[in-house]
Amino acid sequence: MPADARDGAEHLDVDYDDHELLGQADWVIGGEAARKARRQGLYAGYVLFLGALVYGFPIAQTVFRTSDAARLGQQLRSPVAVALLVASVLALLGAVVFAGRFRGPVVPPMPWIDLVLGAPLDRALALRRWWRYAAAGGLFVGALSGLTIGAGLAFAGVAGLVTMAATTVAGTALGVLASRLWLWSQVRSWPGPDRGLSLLWRVPDALRELHAESLRAHSANTSTLAGSALTGNLRTARLALTRPVHHGRTARLRAGRPFGVLVRRDVLGLRRTPGAFLSGLGLTALGGAIVTWAFVQPAAPSIAATIGLLPLYLGFGAWAEGLRLQADNVGVPSLLGANEVTEAAAHAVTPTALTAVVLGVWAGVAAFLGPVPASAGLSLLLVLVLVVAGNVMAAFRGSPTFSLQPQMVVAWYAMPALVVVVMGSLVAVLTKAGRYSWLAVISWVAYGLLAWAFSRVRRLTYLHRA
Amino acid sequence: MAAVAVLSGEVRAEGVGKTIDETALLLPTDVRADPGECVVLRGPNGSGKTTLLRIIGGLLVPTTGTATIGGREADERDRAVRAAVAALLGAPTTYRDLTLIDHLVLIDSTWGGEPATSDDRGLALLDRLGIAHLDDRFPHELSSGQEQLFRLALTFSRPSSVVLLDEPEQRLDTTKRQVVAELIRERTSGGTTVVMACHDPDLTASLADHVVDVVPAR
Repeated sequence: MPADARDGAEHLDVDYDDHELLGQADWVIGGEAARKARRQGLYAGYVLFLGALVYGFPIAQTVFRTSDAARLGQQLRSPVAVALLVASVLALLGAVVFAGRFRGPVVPPMPWIDLVLGAPLDRALALRRWWRYAAAGGLFVGALSGLTIGAGLAFAGVAGLVTMAATTVAGTALGVLASRLWLWSQVRSWPGPDRGLSLLWRVPDALRELHAESLRAHSANTSTLAGSALTGNLRTARLALTRPVHHGRTARLRAGRPFGVLVRRDVLGLRRTPGAFLSGLGLTALGGAIVTWAFVQPAAPSIAATIGLLPLYLGFGAWAEGLRLQADNVGVPSLLGANEVTEAAAHAVTPTALTAVVLGVWAGVAAFLGPVPASAGLSLLLVLVLVVAGNVMAAFRGSPTFSLQPQMVVAWYAMPALVVVVMGSLVAVLTKAGRYSWLAVISWVAYGLLAWAFSRVRRLTYLHRA
Repeated sequence: MAAVAVLSGEVRAEGVGKTIDETALLLPTDVRADPGECVVLRGPNGSGKTTLLRIIGGLLVPTTGTATIGGREADERDRAVRAAVAALLGAPTTYRDLTLIDHLVLIDSTWGGEPATSDDRGLALLDRLGIAHLDDRFPHELSSGQEQLFRLALTFSRPSSVVLLDEPEQRLDTTKRQVVAELIRERTSGGTTVVMACHDPDLTASLADHVVDVVPAR
């Protein structure tokens, strides 16, 4: 209960029992459900732990299982591997900072922001709960990931038990750092005087710096993201969350023949969105390095290709804004004179060329360090075909035509990436096993997939009239 | 390269209506417009003007009746129909990473415009609409009125024998409405057929060769 007290003759101080007021607010807004929701958080952690035990550990073990453990261990300790590890960690932390601009770790429900945060309570206390969820989640996921990877390395005979302890500690530290960077980025998404890195260890101050308007924006972004994801309409989320373009205003699109001008459009688009270009470069460089290593090095486990294919696919996607914008235009009156398949093919040129350059550079590095089998080079080409096909399929997948259940929507989103990863992994296995007749079959399937993906362009373009 | 038939601007909609489930969006309506004519669709909100324009543009299949462009079924899947019809029906999706002039150059190039003079054509059109000084802006940097003028520029920048416009006057001040009216008049005197929905009586009076009253379903 508030207690009033006189402080001099000029003004009145009011004491609040923050904990009691927050408890009352909790009860009024959430009732018994609020307590149940907190228990659900613990249950999610329990499920995650079981998942890591049942799936994570065997997968990590398979990742590092090889016929030549000593050689693999040697390669994992090489400067290139260490550089890739550092790059991956930095990319992860960069992604966390990027995400924090739109959706930070502290996102209370709207009624809480509007009705409770307006009261003169200590904001650090009023928001602490959401921060604790994120902090505990970061710590738990980091520790579990470190433990899983360390255990995989140890049980595959690549490293000892000490490594397992070290990766667990490193994973935990990374999880803690990631969650704090996430919060820091959320604080920085709203202007204010105290935005320095010292907020990383001054968490209560960071929570006090969170503005109600910023919390409202992050809460709205969460709804937009969730709504877009669940309805299969990612355009809304993309437009809501991407930064407006301001770079390269003076550069002009050079007129020319239809195909060429469409290709130049994409190049100009990447010049004006350096963030998209750099994230594409980072992802393709990482994925390309792992995939090239998987194809070229006999000691590399076959599953390495599976791991590298995902960032490669996503990196291509970051460069393929033209394809997505074409798909966005489906169903509106035609403005461009080029037909739909020509337009899609032109939009595929820039990301394909950039990905080919990245793969070519890594193949060159591999050739510099040792012999590169011709079959590995051809298989890399096949991977490129698959990545193009997957991205065209993803851009032109249209809207879900099934009843919108979360599992179905997730499967629907993942399908193009899954096709690329499964087919690419198959190529890796067949290449390493020297099964060239089967590889020829798979290559025809890959080209068929590419043709089918482009046929989807036409199908989706005219579907709206059906 | 594939040969695409060049269709005349003869627009015919005979008894076209649209019903979805039990709801009538458009009662059977006739529209007839010949090359060089401007037909204005008039009616209260919800009477089905936009639906009628979408049917004429080949974007929507009518439940009853038939719509043709230059004697061919109005079907957007037909390349000849696409080549004939320029339409502003709702907000076109623009490229967030292209400036206004880049958009016009892109459209002009894909329709085979002479590259050496593409920029000049784009700038001239923006100038006609009074937004030439915004040529290096990105679409998200425009006010709502400027955005409407830019959409009109996108629509007018491509060649066509039929232009369909859904309330081109929206968000524009009186002066800009006159500028748009002048552009439409130029297109019709050049032989283009214009079919547009309009709520502005002055614009309707100054442009319409015929007026079609679209009757609300309920």
